[in-house]
Amino acid sequence: MAQWDTSRYTSLFISEATEHLEALSKELVRLEQGEVTAEAIDSLFRHAHSVKGMAGSMGFEATTALGHKLEDLLDRVRTTPTRFDRGVADLVLQACDALTAHVKAVAAGQPFPDAAPLMAQLVAATQSMRPGTTPLPFKENAAPPLVETTPAPESNLPPRWLISLKVSASSAQPGVRGFLAYKRLGSLGNLFRCAPSLDEVKAGKLQGGLFAVELETTETEANIQKTVSQVADVTLVSIEKVVAPPPVPAAEEARPESSPGDRVVGQEPQRTVRVKTELLDEFLDLAGELLLATAGVREAGRTLHEDARSQLNVSVDRLHGLVRGLHDKVMEARMTPVSVITDRLPRAARDIARRRGREIELIVAGSEVELDRAIVDELNDPVLHLLRNAIDHGVEPPEERRMRGKPPRGTVKVSVRRASDRVLLEVEDDGRGMDTERLKTIAVERGLITAEQAKDLPERDALLLSAAPGLSTATTVTDISGRGVGMDAVKRAVEQVGGTLEIISKRGVGTTFRLSLPLTVAMVNLLLVSVGDDVYGLPIGKVAGVVETTRATLAHSQDLPVLQFGQAVVPARELSALLGVPARLHDVNAACPFVVVETDEGRVALAVDALLGQEEVVLKALRRPLDKVRGLSGVTVLGNGRPVFILDVARIDAPAPHARAAGGDA
Amino acid sequence: MRHVIFLVGKDRYALPLDAVREVVVAPDRYTRVPHAGTSVKGVMTLRGRVVPVVDLARLLVAAPSEGQPAGGKVVLLELTRRDLGLLVTEVEGIEPIEQVDRPPHTTSRLVRGLTRVKEQAATVLDLQGLDSAVASAFATE
Repeated sequence: MAQWDTSRYTSLFISEATEHLEALSKELVRLEQGEVTAEAIDSLFRHAHSVKGMAGSMGFEATTALGHKLEDLLDRVRTTPTRFDRGVADLVLQACDALTAHVKAVAAGQPFPDAAPLMAQLVAATQSMRPGTTPLPFKENAAPPLVETTPAPESNLPPRWLISLKVSASSAQPGVRGFLAYKRLGSLGNLFRCAPSLDEVKAGKLQGGLFAVELETTETEANIQKTVSQVADVTLVSIEKVVAPPPVPAAEEARPESSPGDRVVGQEPQRTVRVKTELLDEFLDLAGELLLATAGVREAGRTLHEDARSQLNVSVDRLHGLVRGLHDKVMEARMTPVSVITDRLPRAARDIARRRGREIELIVAGSEVELDRAIVDELNDPVLHLLRNAIDHGVEPPEERRMRGKPPRGTVKVSVRRASDRVLLEVEDDGRGMDTERLKTIAVERGLITAEQAKDLPERDALLLSAAPGLSTATTVTDISGRGVGMDAVKRAVEQVGGTLEIISKRGVGTTFRLSLPLTVAMVNLLLVSVGDDVYGLPIGKVAGVVETTRATLAHSQDLPVLQFGQAVVPARELSALLGVPARLHDVNAACPFVVVETDEGRVALAVDALLGQEEVVLKALRRPLDKVRGLSGVTVLGNGRPVFILDVARIDAPAPHARAAGGDA
Repeated sequence: MRHVIFLVGKDRYALPLDAVREVVVAPDRYTRVPHAGTSVKGVMTLRGRVVPVVDLARLLVAAPSEGQPAGGKVVLLELTRRDLGLLVTEVEGIEPIEQVDRPPHTTSRLVRGLTRVKEQAATVLDLQGLDSAVASAFATE
């Protein structure tokens, strides 16, 4: 390469350096809690080294110098792991933060912050650790080579074998036999290539029963032969040593067709590429619009003559299937492990606990669970906030814990798990719990609820008062209620992505915040209803049932109509009135569908003109100025090209903000 | 600066050309936006996008205009990250406008000033004023 144009690599540098620095601080915090081993320090060193190397190749001298000093310190620690103490850990974390600041400066196109004092500290710490026996004052040339420190692999690679196998045509289970042979060979070493693909082997779809694998092993040829011979119905066709490892074509006779499944299998890591997240967003938009466009073609076909239409429909069905498949794949590509959030928590927990004089053990479980990246992005701050709250206000100081007969070290557990089509994320502490009586008292004082309401308020709802806007932002309440600022922001963020917040708390025992989240944001199942000339979508997840009855037969409670639903009585409302749209004239004696939905205030029956059926649609977020409209949660476009609003069912019965006693969700 | 000249009823208005993305024929029907003010016509779809449309006649004159004829054109504004259409009666064309006089009495935040186009009076609209008027039309409650 004649011209090394670094600008193209800037974004790569930012993302990779950030990853290394995050890994470094994460591993360091883990190291602090466990045993300090040379391997663990080694890993820290490698991260620092990588960052330094990358900065060097980008020409960021200040970053390189800082990385170098950190590397020196870690190199010294590596030789004497016993010297690794809290002071060193703090210093390494500071250096890590400083390097992160540099990376951020690169991202923002700003000058690098000055790190001279920190660099001096690093040098001092490195020198203080110098073993007395070392005559050299400071190993300037000790910087390791620019390649990774692991030994070059070529020299000691085990030999590779190309093994052709034949599954007997008389085998009752050719797929199982073939797979068994594959597995057995895999136990000898690393399998690299299977032609045709393993799936075809498993399916028993082999022409002439032939397939071939490449095996990297230290075992002898005789042992390989023996292993194959132990599998019934499978015989060894040929075995030969492969000279050049990677692109070796499998033996001709073992490849009946130019095997499309000729991909690398075995224990090689999956190949990945980096994709800009905006690009993923655009993919999703486009795939969503393709779905809509396909539905549009189908709709247009309705005007065609029967023969022509059925022909068109066959094609449209196929197209729809393909587009649906594409959409699914795009959604899959967007799935991001929750670890993006949870990886930062140990470090944050450590810092918060130190600052507040708490002793904390943080347990993180299930960080491999995946969610749509839009949801993961939205959750970053809320989860951090919940953690801060748990440590700050949940877990008591060590002395207080001792007095209460608890272990001085508090436990905060962040766990993520799949529950059918939802993901549950819980932040649980074993602290003092929440005082619902105090919460209620303050809520009444602030006019959020009446004393009357407070008396009958269920525990669950009382706890959620802590997330009411008027309450959680009041700093004075923080210490009394035990829950801090910004819980309303947490609740809002969770609801924004279609999730719900639940709080479970027991005084003196602890509190759990449970976020129930959808896997993806984009697809939603709707019940379409018509009101007057309009069509609206109600998320199926919020629909408890439908009752058909006449308005005339509704019972009344406190002058408001109510509907018998199951064992309960639910308030009945005209959807047109709730939305402020004109209604069709209705005959009170005519049967009318009432859709019973789950709102934040409990179940409500909505009178509509007609049910138009269910549809799975692509949800579009509302953009300005539509996001200002009360009562809507999204919009979609039906096959006929008509936009349909999706109602914010959770808050549909909430009175208009000006009519509310106090702040609501407006 | 070049401006898009259009009619709202019988009155002539202008918007800077770079504030306009495109002009489309008004749809036969709109999807109603709940709770929105009377100047909000509804939403339409344009190439798969959902575009809110505001009836400029009603936005300019608080009182309902006398029986707006069917049809008309939708002027789509060039805004970042969102779409907004203004329903107008007819689009006349693009004309250069050099001088904009301040209106004698500031009647509306929607109006930037007055000018003459081909010997006829025209009102130049203020994009920011328009934007905030639209925002409040959508958040009436």
